[in-house]
Amino acid sequence: MPGLISPAERDYILKGIECNIRADGRQRADYREVTLETGVISQTSGSARVRIAGGTDVLVSVKAEIGPVQVDPETGDGADKGQIVCSVECAPSASQQFEGRGADDLNNELTQMMTRFLSNSTSNPSVSSTASAGAGGINLSKLCIIPGQQCWILFVDALVLDYGGNLVDAVFMGARAAIYDTRIPKTEVQDLGDGQFEFEVLDDAEDTEFVEGRENMPICVTLNKIGARHIVDASPLEELCTEARLVVAVNRSGELCGQQKGHDGGIEPSLLLEMIQFGKTTGQTLIKQLDARLQEEADADLAKRQRGEPVHKLGFFAQ
Amino acid sequence: MSISFHSPAVRTTNDGVVRRRAVGHDMDLDDGLEGAAESAMKDPTLHVVTPGELITSDTAFMRGHGTYIEQEKVLSSVAGVVDRVNKLISVRPLHTRYTGEIGDVVVGRITEVAQKRWKVDLNARLDGILMLSSVNLPGGVQRRKQESDELQMRTFFMEGDLVVAEVQNFFADGAYSIHTRSLKYGKLRNGSFISVSPGLVQRSKSHFHSLSCGVDVILGLNGYIWVSAHVSQDLEEIDTEQVYSNKNKEDITPADRESIARIANCIRALAQNFVFINATIISFAYEASLQYPLKDMHKKEVMRDIAVEATTAVDNMRG
Repeated sequence: MPGLISPAERDYILKGIECNIRADGRQRADYREVTLETGVISQTSGSARVRIAGGTDVLVSVKAEIGPVQVDPETGDGADKGQIVCSVECAPSASQQFEGRGADDLNNELTQMMTRFLSNSTSNPSVSSTASAGAGGINLSKLCIIPGQQCWILFVDALVLDYGGNLVDAVFMGARAAIYDTRIPKTEVQDLGDGQFEFEVLDDAEDTEFVEGRENMPICVTLNKIGARHIVDASPLEELCTEARLVVAVNRSGELCGQQKGHDGGIEPSLLLEMIQFGKTTGQTLIKQLDARLQEEADADLAKRQRGEPVHKLGFFAQ
Repeated sequence: MSISFHSPAVRTTNDGVVRRRAVGHDMDLDDGLEGAAESAMKDPTLHVVTPGELITSDTAFMRGHGTYIEQEKVLSSVAGVVDRVNKLISVRPLHTRYTGEIGDVVVGRITEVAQKRWKVDLNARLDGILMLSSVNLPGGVQRRKQESDELQMRTFFMEGDLVVAEVQNFFADGAYSIHTRSLKYGKLRNGSFISVSPGLVQRSKSHFHSLSCGVDVILGLNGYIWVSAHVSQDLEEIDTEQVYSNKNKEDITPADRESIARIANCIRALAQNFVFINATIISFAYEASLQYPLKDMHKKEVMRDIAVEATTAVDNMRG
C-alpha cells in the first residue's frame, strides 16, 4: 500500500493514542507478539528470523570470513581488531514502497545505523567516545587472528521480507539473535620466526566459539512521537502519523549506546529526556526477554543434540 | 509495557478451525493427476500446487485460470488449490488481488487526483477510477457539474482519503469504474482501516452492518474493511454538506474505541485463520473475544481460539 493516510484516520489514531487506546487495542507502551527462530540458514555462521505479528518479517544472517585487518592511516588504530560489516536490504516484495529504487534511502539509513550501533571502531570517533559503554559491545580484539595481518570479518546482513511497521527494532532484535547464534571456528597460530605467522582454521564443528561480548550488544527501541505522546512498535498507519521518531540503542545494563532522530518534526527537550529514559527501561526489559527466549532455544537444541536427535528448524514453513 | 517472544509453530491442517472452502467437488482426476499423493495434505480433496508444478499430463484436460501448458502438460502458474469443473482445470491462487463484479461494494483509498477523475487503490490489479461525474456534489443530487467543481476536486476527495463506493462498470483495460452516487457511499470517518485477503470477504445482501456493540462495519468485497463508531443514518441524510468533511465526530468515547479495536482485532483473527468474514461471524467472534483482555488480542493463540469459537458458534446456529 502506498504511504497514504486520510485526515480522518490520522485524527482517529492521534486521539486514540491520547487516551491510550491504539487502533489495534494496544496501549502506548505495548509491543506486538514477536516470533523468533535462530539457526534458520545452514550456510551461515549464525542466523535468525524475526517476525512481528501483523507483518514485519526480517531475516538476519551472520557470516564470518577471514580478511586483512583494516588500519586507520591517521590513528594507526585497528591493527589488532576484527571487523563487523553491516548491510540491510528491503526486498521489493515487502511493500509497494520498496519497488524500484524506493527502498534505497531506507536501506542506506538502516545500514548506516546498524554500522554505527554495532561496531566500535567507526570512522567517526565522536560516536564511540560519546557512548560510554563502547557502543557495539562486541569484543573486536577477539576477532583478530594475527595482529596487523589477518582477522575475522563478521558480515551481518539483514533482509526485510515483509513490512508491517517498526522495522528498526525488528532488524536489531534479529541482529542480536543472529550474533547470539553465531559460532566462529577456532584458529591456531604458528610463529615461524622473523615476524612471520601462519594460522590454521580448525574445521571441527565442535571447536567453535561464540562471539565474545555478544551479550553486550545493543538493541533498538523506536519511539514515535504522535501528538504530545510517544508510542513503541508503531503499525504502518501509525508510522504515517509520526511527527518525530527517536531510535534509542540500549544494551543489557541499560546504557545508552546511540540514538538517532528521524522525520521532520521536533521534540521538546523535556519530552526528549523522558523518551530516552523510557527507551532505556523498555530496551532493558526487551533484551531480558529476548535473551531468555534465545537461551531457551539454545538449551532445547543442545538437549536434542546430546540425545543424538537431529535439530529441525522450521524456517520458512512455520506459522 | 508488554512484549512476548515466541518460537514459530507448525501450521497444521486439523487445528480445529473449520475451513469453509468452495471446493465441493471430489478431485477424482484419475491417474492423470500426479503429485497429489506427494502433497502431504491430510485432506484428500485438496490439491495444493506451487508455480511450475505439474497438474496433469493428460491432454484431455483444458487449461483454465492460473495454469499454462508446456509440452502438452498442464502446469500451475500460481500457488494455490486445483479446481476442476468437468474437463476444465484451473488453480485458485492462495494470494490474489481483487477481481470484482458490477454492483460490488468496495472500500478504496484515493491515490491520485487527475483530470475529472480520482484514481483509487482497490487492491485490484489496476487502480479503480472514480469519475467526477460519478459522485454526488454538495448542494443537491441533480446539480450540474461546473468547471469550478473540476478545480476544487481536492476539496471533495484528497490523496489518502478512504471512500466506500460501488463498482459501476469496467473499462476496456480491466480497470474498475466506481461511483458514490448514493448517500450510503462516500468518505469514511470515525474509525480504523483493516486489509484482509479479498477472497475472505463473503458476498452478501448487505455490506454495511451496524453491530450490537455500537460499531459500524463496512465489508468491502476487495478485502478492505472499515470499522467505525456508529453514526445514525438519518443524521447523515439531512446533512449532505457533511459528506466530504474530514472531521471525525467529537464524541467517540474510550469505550467506543475499545469496541472498535476489538471488532478490528476479531476480523484480523478470522482473516489470519482463513475463515470467511461476514456480519454473523464477526458478532460471534466479538462474543468469544470478550473473555480476553483487549491487549492480548494480537496474540496468535488468542486469535486462533477466537476464530475456532466463532466458527463453532456459527455451526451450532445452523444446526
